[in-house]
Amino acid sequence: MPLRRLFAASSVLFLLVLAISPAKNAFRSYRSLQRQFRKLGSSRAHSLKAAQGYEARPVAIQQIWLRDFENRVDRCTTCHLGVADPLMAGAPRPFDLHPGTPHTPGGFDRFGCTSCHGGQGLATTQGDAHGSTADAGPPMTPPVFIESGCGRCHLSESVDGAPVLSRGRTLIARAGCYACHAVRGQDAFRSEAPPLATLPVKTGGEWVKRWLKDPKSIDPNATMPNFHLTDQAIDELSHFLFAAQVPKELASRIETAGAEPAGSSANGKKLVSESRCITCHTVEGKGKGTAPELSKIASTASRGWLLAFLREPQAFNPRTPMPRYHFTETESRDVVAYLEDEFRDFDAPKGILEPLRVNQTLAENGRKLFRLYGCFSCHDPAGSGSEKFGPELDGIGDKRAQSLDFGRRTDLVRTLPAWLAAKLESPRSFADGLKMPSYGFSADDSRAVTTALLALGAQSVPDRYRYAPPRKPALLPGGPVGSLIQSYRCLSCHEIGDRGADVSTAPLTYEGSKVKRDWLVDYLMLSYTLRPILEERMPVLKMPREDATQLADALQNFYLDPSIPEDPFAARPASDADPVEGQRLYVGLGCRGCHILGSSGGYYGPPLTEAGKRLKPGWTYAWLKGPQRWRADVRCPDYGLSDTDALRLTAYLETLGPAASSAKPESAARGVK
Amino acid sequence: MLAVLAFLLLPGACARKPAPAVAKTPAAAKTPVAPPPLRYEVRLGKVTFTHYCQTCHGESGAGDGFNAFNLDPHPRDLSDPEFQKKKSDAELADAIQRGGAGVGLSALMPPWGHTLSAGQIDELVLYLRTLPALRKPAS
Repeated sequence: MPLRRLFAASSVLFLLVLAISPAKNAFRSYRSLQRQFRKLGSSRAHSLKAAQGYEARPVAIQQIWLRDFENRVDRCTTCHLGVADPLMAGAPRPFDLHPGTPHTPGGFDRFGCTSCHGGQGLATTQGDAHGSTADAGPPMTPPVFIESGCGRCHLSESVDGAPVLSRGRTLIARAGCYACHAVRGQDAFRSEAPPLATLPVKTGGEWVKRWLKDPKSIDPNATMPNFHLTDQAIDELSHFLFAAQVPKELASRIETAGAEPAGSSANGKKLVSESRCITCHTVEGKGKGTAPELSKIASTASRGWLLAFLREPQAFNPRTPMPRYHFTETESRDVVAYLEDEFRDFDAPKGILEPLRVNQTLAENGRKLFRLYGCFSCHDPAGSGSEKFGPELDGIGDKRAQSLDFGRRTDLVRTLPAWLAAKLESPRSFADGLKMPSYGFSADDSRAVTTALLALGAQSVPDRYRYAPPRKPALLPGGPVGSLIQSYRCLSCHEIGDRGADVSTAPLTYEGSKVKRDWLVDYLMLSYTLRPILEERMPVLKMPREDATQLADALQNFYLDPSIPEDPFAARPASDADPVEGQRLYVGLGCRGCHILGSSGGYYGPPLTEAGKRLKPGWTYAWLKGPQRWRADVRCPDYGLSDTDALRLTAYLETLGPAASSAKPESAARGVK
Repeated sequence: MLAVLAFLLLPGACARKPAPAVAKTPAAAKTPVAPPPLRYEVRLGKVTFTHYCQTCHGESGAGDGFNAFNLDPHPRDLSDPEFQKKKSDAELADAIQRGGAGVGLSALMPPWGHTLSAGQIDELVLYLRTLPALRKPAS
């Protein structure tokens, strides 16, 4: 009997134990949330049937299973029930509609939730899923850094619709982070920092010391960060830099140039203004470019160096974006005379450009410091071997906060974004002996950089999810034309395929289909402003006629787009009435709102006064048929013109300009060798 | 046995936990100075406005963009509440789509129907509707 009682008691106990788990499940908060959602849904529904639909929803775990995306299971929709339900716009959390983004609504089934938001998709309690409990996995990404999610799949530097991420990536590249830190896909990165071999004949000991103290105080455009060096370290490094072996050939160039007589400052002033230096450089902060500030350049570099550099910049720094201007000997002397007159630091001590007498012991200590701080990563990447100086950054976005060394920074919230932001702001504040320099990022900059860093996952996403914009093939010739493109640094401003920079609005990829050869030769020799509202303008490179002809011919022969017709009138010859009809269209469509023609018109698009001299009719026609095809963000509206109207307008524009008087100006241009 | 099990589970199945407070006061309500953040669609509309319209219609829509002085007639003051009251969303969208010439006004306002998608135009109209509220009081 006691045995039977014991058995009964233990059975009940056993059943009770068994019931714990289902009971716990039954008390989960998502159940009550789902019941609330039923009520909310039926109260918001517009029809009885829809209301009944909400009432009939089962209380159950909801999930999005992405088999092809790391087998992700996102159960967020168990509580966030209204994310894809338009009726839930403005509903209280967690029932509200997800704001519209490029992937929502419509992309939930393909992307799930955690691919953008992070957090623990499998979890079904708020604390575990959001990662706010102590032992949960990596937490959700805070909303200010949400664009880091975009960056996991979108790998290009600039990502449409993700301005913060794009800005962060640009800042990382410009700051040169990849020179010290390895990141997937950035192996080819090379810093633009100049080689230091000619430094002893370029500048003086005092200048170098001031620069090492804080580069940005000398030049706000400086990309070199502040290494917070002690005065002794600065002294030792300066001695090391002045102990460098200057290549003989360059040293003698600088010496000869320094001995030349001074030029005419007045003529130099004229030359400097037409050379459009401020397209890339700034002068007292004016200009949009990021090339060195020029207002104190004559207190930075000796006259000999300025002259020799101006004559052939690429001999001094093979990676400089600066083009070679074809000034005559006298002209370059005039330019430097003007720089020496006006572009100097009048507060600087007299001997700022005096060379330093090298003390070998100090120089030897400096050599050690040069290695210790990883200076070679930017200034002499070839001499550094394949090892990167800093730790690799792949996977930094997936680091657990627990694995980070917060060191002295007990003031910080223990999260990855907080750690990253603090690291960017004051890198040495965590412990003694750290080497990372400070970059002077503003709060916005550091938020953008943190966003870009959080996008660096430990693993790359599956191919199906990875997105890089389609590659545009770039034709880069070798031989004489190749050296011309190199020497004039066309790619510092213009795009060719996916190479080069987008400073100019005119990519060269199809330039041959666009402009007429004779105009191009003249333009290359004496460039003028096509679009007065732009600050970035084509510099007057003083290109000799042979160079201009050779470049124009190459562009005419190779840089063509097969979809731009050579002769748009081939199928339907132009009639005399066409230009007249075209002019009527020009007025009727309101083109003058943006384009100057003759003495009147808007100030936005390029003037069309010489359109017939400059543009090939095939291009004009192709442009009119859809401007956005040629430049996606161009403001010139697509008028949806019919073929006939586009041809009429083309015929009219062909008549504009003095050299367009002949009926077929094309053939004349094409015949020239 | 099953009955016992069912009995034990019953309270669990019927349990209702008190609902957690879901409605939170939005953060913006605490700082009345800052304007409330725009909805995503309206933000997209603003991007489109800044890119395509601002050169003539101006940053605030007042018709004072830098290209406005070249245009006769001048661009419309889009931030004028009277003007906004008169026009329906459909009329605004139509004028953007077909341009001034399309709705019997100046051809200097180009048609954007071939450049912008219907969705972009709708977003643009949403943004235009926020302009009167941002208007600076006449001095």
